[in-house]
Amino acid sequence: MTQADVRGAIEVAGRVVTRGEVEDFLYAEADILDAWDYDAWFELFEEGARYEIPTTDYRGWSLHAGGSFVDDDYDLIKARVKRLKSRKAHAENPHSRTHRLVSNVRLFAGEEEGTLRIRASFVVHRARDGQFDQYVGWYEHVVVPTEAGLRYRLRRSILGHESLPVGARLSFIL
Amino acid sequence: MPSEVSERVAEPMLVEDWERLTFRVNREAYRSPELFARERVDIWLRTWLYLGHETEIPEVNDFKVRTIAGRPLIFCRDADGEVRAWLNSCPHRGTVLCRETEGSQKRFQCFYHAWTFNNDGTVAAIPDNGAYEDIEALQSSMMLRSVPRLETHEGYVFISFNPDVPPLLEHLGDAADYMTMIEQQHASGVTTLPGVQLYSVRGNWKLAVENAMDGYHFSPTHNTFVGYLRESGFAVTDDDQYAYNLGNGHSLLVLTGHGGRISMVWEPRFGEAEKVRTEEHLAEMRERLGEKRAHYVADESHILFVFPNLLLFDIEGLSIRQLEPVAPGHTDVRAWQLVPREEHEESRALRMKTVVSFVGPGGLATPDDIEAYEAVQRGIEATRGAGELDYSDMSRGMRDEVKGVQGRSIDEGAMRGFWRHWERAVGGGLEVSGERPERFLEGRELA
Repeated sequence: MTQADVRGAIEVAGRVVTRGEVEDFLYAEADILDAWDYDAWFELFEEGARYEIPTTDYRGWSLHAGGSFVDDDYDLIKARVKRLKSRKAHAENPHSRTHRLVSNVRLFAGEEEGTLRIRASFVVHRARDGQFDQYVGWYEHVVVPTEAGLRYRLRRSILGHESLPVGARLSFIL
Repeated sequence: MPSEVSERVAEPMLVEDWERLTFRVNREAYRSPELFARERVDIWLRTWLYLGHETEIPEVNDFKVRTIAGRPLIFCRDADGEVRAWLNSCPHRGTVLCRETEGSQKRFQCFYHAWTFNNDGTVAAIPDNGAYEDIEALQSSMMLRSVPRLETHEGYVFISFNPDVPPLLEHLGDAADYMTMIEQQHASGVTTLPGVQLYSVRGNWKLAVENAMDGYHFSPTHNTFVGYLRESGFAVTDDDQYAYNLGNGHSLLVLTGHGGRISMVWEPRFGEAEKVRTEEHLAEMRERLGEKRAHYVADESHILFVFPNLLLFDIEGLSIRQLEPVAPGHTDVRAWQLVPREEHEESRALRMKTVVSFVGPGGLATPDDIEAYEAVQRGIEATRGAGELDYSDMSRGMRDEVKGVQGRSIDEGAMRGFWRHWERAVGGGLEVSGERPERFLEGRELA
């Protein structure tokens, strides 16, 4: 293996995960979300996984030591998916159009055995009601490699904003 | 070609008809820049405004900056432990003095000319002060400018830009006791946490008030959240839920069967361990507060509106929501979670998760509320200038009101009380026809 091949790769549970694989995972997810395919999105989570969005004053505390925007356990992720698929999710009916860009992808060993930490930047553009918003921030995900591919144990989106600007809201998946 | 037709602005702002039992609000109230300017003077610069909670600045020298009624302020605890609210503006030339959003410091230094102030407002240093004739007189005239009034009730800090405002407790009236009930929920008292939800909505601030006092929208708007509650083993009903006008523009929804309350009303989604802790807590409360008071504190959910900018959601968990009008169609919102100072780790985690699942712009319910009142703000453009068609209807429940029957939370009586108070504050006209009841049901008998 040449030096170039191993750049950005990390060994997890006896297997090498490359940055390319992680990038493909994030890009595929971005497509899934932009296509509003929430069943496929839910498949990206292992059972018991979490989805979190801290508030804009986040300083790295546990979400149980402070307020947050999203603090979903697995049941709430399920409820959120069910809600978004319903035409009664008024804040997303009609759906927002979103366009996601993911970059600056980096890999780290996870704190828990057999896990991988991903840090990446995102820009999500959202159009709805004649308005165009941008959401900028970074992901701090914990994923586990499985036979079926990478799966989320924790999916965390951290906003780079000082506050959510007028008209913005997190009614879709960030 | 410019239209020759001028838009007819309908008068008055409120129309009450006690024969037809209708109550209508002029939609100009949500969009007129003139009325917004009048509100600034007649409401926001006249009465008490919620600034923040004492527990946001627990230690000496802690500070937060915050804009209230469009004015930048420093909310701080000075070196002697006194809670202060300074205009965030250098007395010298007006520069914003503190440009951090929060922190801890004894002094604030203006970067422009390096004038420095202690957090008790006194001047610490004016560089090169030999240029002034009487430096002592200058220093005392250049102290930080304080808000004219500041008073605290149960940790809630209120300010007023009006030096002649009546005492805070007089303004709070019957609302004060519901704030006390929140403090009494836990022997250790309650505290705010970091993690403030800061967001802005494209809607008039009064639409946010209406939404909070409107139980009628709950089932249709929050259909998906109600579904989630039902699936997790809790049936939501509208029975035994009431709306009260508490006077001075304050109002209250009393909700039972609306969903669980962490550490007070258990439901299956909270889990078995929480059931045991809830029972222990209820026993402790009855011991501490007596049976009757414990009932009011623990068994009912309350949504309390303290005129004009504070909403307390004492529902599944506790949230403080503060409204800051920026423009007729633009409101900044800030929301804090209140928690018991001392709480079992698992209850705390459950509380934070549960509260956030409903409340806030990323929850399963609040985004639909915001959608609703932003949609009102857009939709009411349709009738602009359409004379008497340009009114919103808030008649629901007047049939009971005229008979003296207590209004339900799914009626619009709390909103009517708010609007009558608003009209008294800013004027704009109230047209009453038919025989108006001598007195409206106001307040609530707790004894």
